[in-house]
Amino acid sequence: MSFDPAKTIGGILLVLALVVQPLSCTSSNRLEGYVYYRLNASPSTLDPALIADVSSAAIAAKLYNGLVRLDDGLGIAPDIARKWSISEDGLRYTFLLRRGVRFTNGREVKASDFKYSFERVLDPSTRSPNTWVFDKVEGAEEFLKGRAGEVRGFKAKGDYVFEITLKRPFSPFLSMLTMPPAYVVPREEVEKLGADFSSRPSGTGPFTLKEWLPDRELLLARRHDYFGGRSRVKGIAYRIIAEDLTAVTEFMLGNLDVIALPATAYARFKNDEKWSRYILSREGLNTYYLGMNSSRPPFDDPELRRAVSYAIDREKILNTFYEGRGRLAEGPVPHLLRRWKTGRPIEYDPERARRMIRKKGLEDLEVDMYVSADREVVDLAEIIQAYLARVGINVNIRQLEWSAYKDAVNKGEPDMFWLSWWADYPDPENFLFPLFHSRNLGPGGNRVRYVNREVDSLIEKGQYAVDEEERDYFYQKAEEIIIEDSPWVFFWHKTDYVITQPWIKGCRVYPVYSMDKGTDIMIDSSAVRR
Amino acid sequence: MLLVPLMFAITLFAFFLLKALPGDPVLGLVGERADPETMESMRRELGTDKGFVGQYAGYLKLLLKGDLGRSYYTNRDVLADISRKFPNTMLLAFAAMLVTVPLGTGLGFLSAVSAGGRSRFLERLIDTLSISGLSIPVFWSAIIIMMLFSLKLKLLPPSGTGGIRFLVLPAAVLAIPAAATLARVTKTTVLEILRMPYVTTARSKGLSALRVQLVHVLRNAVIPIVTIIGLDFGSYLNGAVVTETIFGWDGIGKFTMEGIIKRDYPVIMGCIITGTLVFVVVNLITDVIYHYLDPRIRLNVKKG
Repeated sequence: MSFDPAKTIGGILLVLALVVQPLSCTSSNRLEGYVYYRLNASPSTLDPALIADVSSAAIAAKLYNGLVRLDDGLGIAPDIARKWSISEDGLRYTFLLRRGVRFTNGREVKASDFKYSFERVLDPSTRSPNTWVFDKVEGAEEFLKGRAGEVRGFKAKGDYVFEITLKRPFSPFLSMLTMPPAYVVPREEVEKLGADFSSRPSGTGPFTLKEWLPDRELLLARRHDYFGGRSRVKGIAYRIIAEDLTAVTEFMLGNLDVIALPATAYARFKNDEKWSRYILSREGLNTYYLGMNSSRPPFDDPELRRAVSYAIDREKILNTFYEGRGRLAEGPVPHLLRRWKTGRPIEYDPERARRMIRKKGLEDLEVDMYVSADREVVDLAEIIQAYLARVGINVNIRQLEWSAYKDAVNKGEPDMFWLSWWADYPDPENFLFPLFHSRNLGPGGNRVRYVNREVDSLIEKGQYAVDEEERDYFYQKAEEIIIEDSPWVFFWHKTDYVITQPWIKGCRVYPVYSMDKGTDIMIDSSAVRR
Repeated sequence: MLLVPLMFAITLFAFFLLKALPGDPVLGLVGERADPETMESMRRELGTDKGFVGQYAGYLKLLLKGDLGRSYYTNRDVLADISRKFPNTMLLAFAAMLVTVPLGTGLGFLSAVSAGGRSRFLERLIDTLSISGLSIPVFWSAIIIMMLFSLKLKLLPPSGTGGIRFLVLPAAVLAIPAAATLARVTKTTVLEILRMPYVTTARSKGLSALRVQLVHVLRNAVIPIVTIIGLDFGSYLNGAVVTETIFGWDGIGKFTMEGIIKRDYPVIMGCIITGTLVFVVVNLITDVIYHYLDPRIRLNVKKG
């Protein structure tokens, strides 16, 4: 028997190719007129009261509306409320509603719908994680604790006037009303569907949910009776693809129109002339930081924390390891939100760090740094470890699975940890109060357990200040003290990158996930087939 | 039936392990900004504030009603989700086995038979292939296969759940290590049998080589082969996390994994129960097949 392996293998491959060929997919089964996006995780819920993740919030923004929304300059623009006024003492907000705004079931939105929707967020049986959005409202606390049947501070005055009364003036309130928990929902649908409202939403937005195959695909169809500008695409399709590389492959095959550019693919597209002009970017509203547990030794000493900040060359890490995909942070508040100049940002000065540590007799200090088991983060932790070793701090890196990591950080177990904070609403307060006020220790946001009464009172003064300049003055003072105390090493504000197909027009990168209503993007059909 | 106490033990053990894990399901639900009161009231609503016994009793009560509960995160019915995803996993497992069984046994058999021949080229080639197949990690082969067949050749879609177009690549990726294992087991078994006296007898009777190999050798080699196939099949039916994730195949494996990451107890428990049932059923089928292949193996069925 003669046997030629090369021929046999060739034959097998040929047969395989013949079998596979008819299954080939040059034309993919895309819906015509739909723009295709990628999500890396299936949204957990489309009930705005329950939303706590970015995927869900980005979709909810296209299905619902609130009283107000953010405009492109991060200012407040009318949404269902066509006008509003705030009383001089900063306590009473009066919203005049548009007429003729309809839910998908055809019913018109009335002021009482806002009362219902907002009270629903506070109702304990809703299990909303977003009660903090409304906890400054008059009577909210009593209602939350079950001592009142309604929230006094929410008042429907007739069908088209809605009034909110606060306990104390609270300057970021209007900005917070742009968030998903402040979207309006139809009571009859919520009550009819119960828990299923999460997956069968109905709102007032420019799109309606057409189909949702959880963990696979989600289709939104354009609504023709939307009160705002009608969408320029027939619909939006989200494909759920967990793996970055798979998403990039789908994009390169033209099966996806827009993707957030994964870090691993950044250099490749950036250096490719054909693609680089289709990359869009925008400075993000986020801050990445190395947190130091300020409630116990050794990092209860601000001087040692400052020494750590001096010891790390953040700029170099940003420009090499991170390929310049961000802007160096000077403090916790992103540059986009900061209308003031920081006094003294901390520069890289290892000699100074070494001196400070030697003076304290802390050479050979051992500390634990916790990181989540994400490859990029682990690499970064090793870089930080090397910098700190040079000034005499020995860092033990402990890598934990995400849930365990979050739990440990919330409980204050690690000496150091790596984390980031992303804006829910564009106000400096969002980067100060949750993160550095002593009322929010642990899971509330202040995970470094930083306590400084002066900072507390400055942040509060900023929250109560009615006048914008006055507010900024307090925020600036608070930020200066925080930078001086350095409970964080302030790393960078990550830039968001998106890449689109050549046939996509009107696509933009939005610094807050809830800003994109999906009404600007369009498909240039003349460019589809190049 | 032994199944009931087994299921009881498995759920108890799984529940115990889940509770022993660090992490709190509420943390994932509340987002980045939660006050202790909200977290407390959420724990009360979910029932995770009760002790171990209380929670387990509550779960058993639900289970006895044939209900697996609702996911903490998506509020969707776990049983409905599993029944939607399980057929996909089953399809993928069957497709993978469809490639694995002929490829693995065929190559293993060829390798064993050519081991005694003059040219050992074929044997060496197959051995090299099967060792490589065993050693290449799935995440690597998956990516290479995707790059080649989707991106370069544009033959098949890189991801998605659906018909045969979507099935080919993930099934091939799963089949590589399985076929490699199977080839090695087949080869060892066949080599062993070739040394048995009855094979010599058969040969000396003057039977054709083909007949000896098919009737006398292959038939006797089949038991360990079926065992391996049963094990692989059982584990594929419980989902192939990496393959499902890379190819975006909507199956049980990814579902289980995401449940574990988020500490979504109802989802994890539902998947464990399904997985146990699958293994019991596959083992039962394997046992029945044993009986037909080798009548000396009796099924211990009590009568009366």
